[in-house]
Amino acid sequence: MAQASATTRPPSRSPLETAVDRVWRFFCSVRAAIYEISFLALLVLIGTLRGSEVPQWIADAAPPLQPLVDRWYAWDVFGSPLFAATLAVIAIAIAVCTLNRVPGIWQTISEPRVRTSVGYVARSEVTAEFIGASNPEALEQRLRDALADRRYRVFTERVGDQIHVYADKNRWSKFGTFPFHLALILLLVGGIVASMFGFRDTEFAVAEGETRAVGHGTDLSVELVRFRDAYIETGDPAEYRSDVIIYDDGSKVKDGEITVNSPISAGVATFYQASFGIASDIVVRDALGNVLFDAPVEMGFFNLRANPDAPAGLIRLPAQGVQIAVVAPDVDRANRPDLDTLNLANGQVWVQVSPLNSSPGSGNMETAVLDQGDPAEVGGYEVLFDRESRFTVLQVAYNPGIPIFFIASVLLVGGLAVTFYFPMRRIRGIIQRSAEDSSLIMTPLAKRDWGGKREFFRVSEEVGKQLGVTPKVKRPDHEGYWDDESDASEDDTNL
Amino acid sequence: METLVKLSFYFFAASSVALGAASLSYIAYTIGRVRVRRATMATSAGTTVTSSSTDFSPGNTAFGRWGSMLTWFGAVFAFLAVLFRTIAAERLPTANMYEFSLTFVLAISIIYIAFERLYDFRQLGAIVLPIAFGMTVYIWSLPAELREITPLIPALQARPIMTAHVSAAIFAYATFAVSFAAAIFYLIKSKRNIRWLPSLEVLDDVAFRSVAIGFPLLSLVLILGSIWAHDAWGVYWSWDPKETAALFTWLVYAVYLHTRTLRGWRGTRSAVILLFGFGAVMFTYYGNYFFGGLHAYGGV
Repeated sequence: MAQASATTRPPSRSPLETAVDRVWRFFCSVRAAIYEISFLALLVLIGTLRGSEVPQWIADAAPPLQPLVDRWYAWDVFGSPLFAATLAVIAIAIAVCTLNRVPGIWQTISEPRVRTSVGYVARSEVTAEFIGASNPEALEQRLRDALADRRYRVFTERVGDQIHVYADKNRWSKFGTFPFHLALILLLVGGIVASMFGFRDTEFAVAEGETRAVGHGTDLSVELVRFRDAYIETGDPAEYRSDVIIYDDGSKVKDGEITVNSPISAGVATFYQASFGIASDIVVRDALGNVLFDAPVEMGFFNLRANPDAPAGLIRLPAQGVQIAVVAPDVDRANRPDLDTLNLANGQVWVQVSPLNSSPGSGNMETAVLDQGDPAEVGGYEVLFDRESRFTVLQVAYNPGIPIFFIASVLLVGGLAVTFYFPMRRIRGIIQRSAEDSSLIMTPLAKRDWGGKREFFRVSEEVGKQLGVTPKVKRPDHEGYWDDESDASEDDTNL
Repeated sequence: METLVKLSFYFFAASSVALGAASLSYIAYTIGRVRVRRATMATSAGTTVTSSSTDFSPGNTAFGRWGSMLTWFGAVFAFLAVLFRTIAAERLPTANMYEFSLTFVLAISIIYIAFERLYDFRQLGAIVLPIAFGMTVYIWSLPAELREITPLIPALQARPIMTAHVSAAIFAYATFAVSFAAAIFYLIKSKRNIRWLPSLEVLDDVAFRSVAIGFPLLSLVLILGSIWAHDAWGVYWSWDPKETAALFTWLVYAVYLHTRTLRGWRGTRSAVILLFGFGAVMFTYYGNYFFGGLHAYGGV
C-alpha cells in the first residue's frame, strides 16, 4: 500500500534543490525587492542626515539621545559593510529576477497567445462590440487595416467558425526593463572598477613655475605656468584657471588651460581644477651658504591652532632633521582679532625652525618675522622670503569605470523612457458569424490601466469608422476597490 | 538689465496673486457644499424628535472654471517672469533658490494644466495649486538680494548641463506634486466615497502616470548631475548629502513602482508611499538649508 502511494507522488527533490529553489524564488520576489529597496532607502536616509544638522537637532530636543546621535555622526554609512551587502543583495536580485523574466516577456513578444474565449472577452469590464458588419473575412481585413493605422501588430487564428484576434503595439517597451536593471548593476560595476583599478589625488597642489610628478605608477608630471583668478564684488571668485604643461617621462604631451568644468586629460590621468591658494617662495641656506630649499610653499593646507585664519605652510628638511613652519598674515582680521597675536603686515611671514615632526607653532623654538626680500638668521639657517606667488590645487584622477558609467547612463534613461513613455498596448477580440452578418467583440488587456482603456476607446472609435458601425462600448462603472487576486497578471506594469 | 529684472519680479508678483486666487477657487470647487439637515417629528406621545444628517454636494462648477482660468493666468505670468529673467541673466534662471523656485512655479503650473486637460477633472487643483502658491510665498520670504542677478560661481558655469540638470529636476518635482495630490484624493476616496471625486482607478492612474513621467526625469537628474560632477569635481558620485537625498527620493519612487504589481500593496499602501515620496522631494528641495557639502550654495 505504502509502495503504491509512493509511485504516484512526484519525485521528491533533494534538500539542495529545494534550497536553491527557495533562494531563487526569494531573489525573484517583488515583495522581497520592495523590502530590499526600502531598507536601502532607509540606509541612504540615515547617511544623508548624517551630513546635516538634523541628528543634532534631535539630540538637542531629546538630550538622552546624544550618545546615539554621536554614534550616528561617527558611522560612515556609505562605506559600511552593511551598505555594501545591501547593494550586493539588490544586484543579485536584479540579475536573478531579470533572468527569470526573460522567457515570459520574450514569449509575449515573439509568440503571443492569440486564442481566447468568448466568455473571457464578454465578461471583461471594458469591451467594444461591433454588430452588423460584413462577412468575417472582410471584417478581419478591415480590422487589420484599422489597427495597422494605429501602429498595432495583428495576429489572427481560426477557431471553428470564429476568428480570434490579438493586437499589440509598443511591444519592445516590455524589454525596457532589462537595460534599466542592467544599468543599475553596471553602475555598481563601474564604481568597483574605479576604486580597484583607478586612483584619485584630491589635493594635488602645484605652485607657479613648479613642476610636480603625478606618481601613482605614471611618468606624468605637471608644470603650472600661470594661475589667474578674478573676483566679483562680494569677494567670491568669478573664475580661476590654471595654464599648465603636462609631461610624460619628461616630454611635453599636452598644454592648455584647466578651469572648473573644463578638465584636461593626458595619458591615463585627467586633471580637474579644484581650488587655489597663496604660496610663499622661500629660500633656505645653511651656515655655509648651501641652498637647502628654494621653492614655493603652498600656504593654507594647515592653519595655526592659535589662529585658524592664518594660513600656514611647512618645509621639511629631513637631512637636517628640522622643519620650518611658515605663517602668512591673518586673512580675516575682523574675525577674532584677539587671536591675531603675530599681527603680521602684508609682505611679511613668520617662520619657526623646529625639530622634524614636532608640532608647528608650539614650544619655545626659534622664530622670526621676515620682510619680503630680507633674509634672516633663524635657528642656524638663513631664511629668505623671496616673494608671494600663487598655487593651484588640482584633482588628478584615473577612472577606468567611466566608460561603464556612460553606457549604464544611456541604458538607464533609455530603458526607463521606453518603458514608461511608450507603454505596451494589447487588445484581444473575437469575430463571429451570426445568422445574417458577423460581429466583433474586443477588450483591452488593461486591468488597472486607465490610460490603456482610453487608448482602447480611441481604437474602438477608429475601428467603428472603418467598419461603418457604431460600437457598443461597455465602460467601467465601478467606484470602489479594484484589487484583483493575482500578483502578476499579464497586464501588470512593465516595470 | 535692471528693467528686465524688475519686470520679471512684477510678473512673478502677478503670478503669485493669480495662483493664490486659483487655489481658493479650486478648494471651493472641490470641497463642495456641506448641508446639515434637521428634521423634527412629533411622536404619538406628544413629544418631538429632532434628527440631523450631513449632506455633501459638489461645488459650484463656476469655481472650477475660475480656478482653471486663474491657473492659466498664473502660468502665463510665471512664464513671462522666467522669460524676462532668462533674457536679463542670459541663462535659464536656476542658479539660486529664488530662481529655482520661480522656475518651479512655472513647471508645476504647466504640469498641472497638462494633467487637468488630459484627465478632464479639476479637483487635483485643490492640492497642486496650493503647493504652487506656497512656493510663491516661499519666494516672497527669500532675501531681496537674491532677486539681483549676480555672476555664477565657477562650479555653476556649465550652462547646457546645468540647464538640463536643473530643468529635469524641476519638472520631475512638479509631476511628483501631481502624484501627491492624486494620492491624497485616493486615500480620501477609499475612506469616504465622495461621489464627485474621480474613481479610484482614475486617481490611481493619475498618480502612476505622473510618477511614470517624473521617475525617468529624476533618473536623468541623477545622471546629468553625475556627468556634471565628473567635470566639475572630478568624480561622478561623491555621496554628497544633496546627491544622496535625491537618491533617497528616487528609491522611494522605485518602491512605489514595485508596489503597483503586488496584491496587498497596490492601492492604499501605494498611495501612502507617494505621500512619503513627496515628503522626500521637499526634503531634497530644501536640503540646502540643512546640508553641508558640495551643493551648499544657492543663496540660502
